Amino acid sequence: MSMIDIPTSGKASASSELGRSLEASSGRIFSRKSRLSFYNRTFRIICIASAVFVCMILFSILFLMGRTGILTFDTVSVKDFFLSTEWVPENDQYGAFIFIFGTFALTLLTMAISVPLSVIIAIFLSEMTPGWLKTALRPVLDLLVGIPSVVYGFLGLTVLIPMLRTVTGTNMGDGILAAAIVLTIMVLPTISRITDDSIVAVPKKYRDASYALGATRFQTILKVVLPAARSGIMYAVILGMAHAIGETMAVVMVIGNTPQLADALFKPTSVLTSNIVMQIANVPFDSTWNDALYLMGFILLVISLLMIVIVRLIQGRGVKA
Amino acid sequence: MKRKWLKGMALTLMALAVAFGTVSSAGAASKLSGRIVINGSSALLPLTLQAANEFKKLNPKVRISASAAGSITGPQSVRKGIADIGAVDWDASKDVPGFKKFDGQVAHKVAVIPFAAVVNSGVGVSGLTTSQLQGIFSGKITNWKDVGGSDADIIVVNRAFGSGTRVNFQMKALAGKDFMTKGSNYKEVKSSGDMKTAIETTPNAIGYIDLVYVTSKMKAVKINNVAPTEANVINGSYKVWGYGYYMTKEQPTGATKAFIDYVQSKKFQTGSLKKLKFIPISAMK
Repeated sequence: MSMIDIPTSGKASASSELGRSLEASSGRIFSRKSRLSFYNRTFRIICIASAVFVCMILFSILFLMGRTGILTFDTVSVKDFFLSTEWVPENDQYGAFIFIFGTFALTLLTMAISVPLSVIIAIFLSEMTPGWLKTALRPVLDLLVGIPSVVYGFLGLTVLIPMLRTVTGTNMGDGILAAAIVLTIMVLPTISRITDDSIVAVPKKYRDASYALGATRFQTILKVVLPAARSGIMYAVILGMAHAIGETMAVVMVIGNTPQLADALFKPTSVLTSNIVMQIANVPFDSTWNDALYLMGFILLVISLLMIVIVRLIQGRGVKA
Repeated sequence: MKRKWLKGMALTLMALAVAFGTVSSAGAASKLSGRIVINGSSALLPLTLQAANEFKKLNPKVRISASAAGSITGPQSVRKGIADIGAVDWDASKDVPGFKKFDGQVAHKVAVIPFAAVVNSGVGVSGLTTSQLQGIFSGKITNWKDVGGSDADIIVVNRAFGSGTRVNFQMKALAGKDFMTKGSNYKEVKSSGDMKTAIETTPNAIGYIDLVYVTSKMKAVKINNVAPTEANVINGSYKVWGYGYYMTKEQPTGATKAFIDYVQSKKFQTGSLKKLKFIPISAMK
């Protein structure tokens, strides 16, 4: 109780003093006190309004996408939409399974390539690099994050795909492997920088203890540092996944955009984002097709919201020093 | 204090005088005023922008905002009342493959757009017939050797459903026959620019594109033994072309009518329109 009492009484006396000084000396119509309280109140209202505005935007987007998307089920059964592989809107067939599967397959493939790579880069950055190289490399990674995705997509189309064609001898090169490589390059800096930060945050005493027990550097990194930085790495991975799932421009240029199941690495296919951007400009308003694309957007939105929730949960935990 | 006030007043007056002076002197040229919103086909956008610039010089009180988001958005925006003119690569007042007609809209021809079937420069085929094109784009012919080329898989590059180029190519070059929708050597691209890149960089690829986009790094094939040239379009031997249309809700009035008249005028058709490599509508019989 006393813990709480002391600060309150202190605050009370301070505010009464403030009140006296406010009432003194006012040459205008409104006293200094009422002016200040007016400013304070206005500022508070502006702040609250801004916060409410942001929340309203989120909920109205969710509402609009969901409401339009749900109209799909007036003409298409839930089972068909989620499980059918026939996406032929011209013939009223709206099976989105190909795209949902494609999105997950692409994301998993991307993660399978990018996570090991980025963790190794992060270990190199945080544990092995001399200081001067660290200060040079970190900004390089930060700059990579800022490159617009359309640039990656364009380079994928003009450099990566011809290269894949000559290396593997396939006819086209478009497909989830090309998309996964482009996405890997895109999410690599994000994942490795955050992993790097979380490895640096592991207290030095952990390493000292490990070395004192006679562990080698490799053992220390693998058995002590990485497990201690686990939640940070998870956080990085999920952030990278959210980035990869939502990426559109780079993917649409290298994936081939054909509604068929991605059962091979080199087979033109389509994912949720690329299909939406390919078709949304050309569909008639008020058609089932339009609603189905909204529903696909809504699914994407829900997936990324779920990921953000998971990120928050992971952030809440984490290693304490 | 007072002098400053006077000075400010004088400056404001001068500014107003200058502003009104220019407006009234320019306004003398034309009494037309209003606002025209144009949306739709990206193929027609360069033409629309050029026409808008010239039209605004003649009629300074008319404000024109033009944008492009794809052919089908043109007539749709007109129907919704968002746009006064919807630019589209086909006659949207009639049914075309995949799209129902827009009832009550009026179509105005503004230009002739030729299209070409194009192949990667490495492909040894220089001419195809309609039935060969139908076979290739429906997925029945899958190897170049079946149409007189070397033994290699045909890579079909298609525009996405809803593209005006696709509608025209399907109607004119494939005689309305359907495209394939899937296959391991089949892909779709989003725009004419993507089509150009895909054809240029993919060996054994075939696609189609506006004739003006054809570059030296690809090959435009003869269709039924007729080369895709402007002259052949005008003399009627090359059939793969379409009109570009402006759609309006009803018969246009006021500024909108004046603008469409301007685009259809001989001066614009044989001047700027030709410079942008479209073919004047008057050239066709």
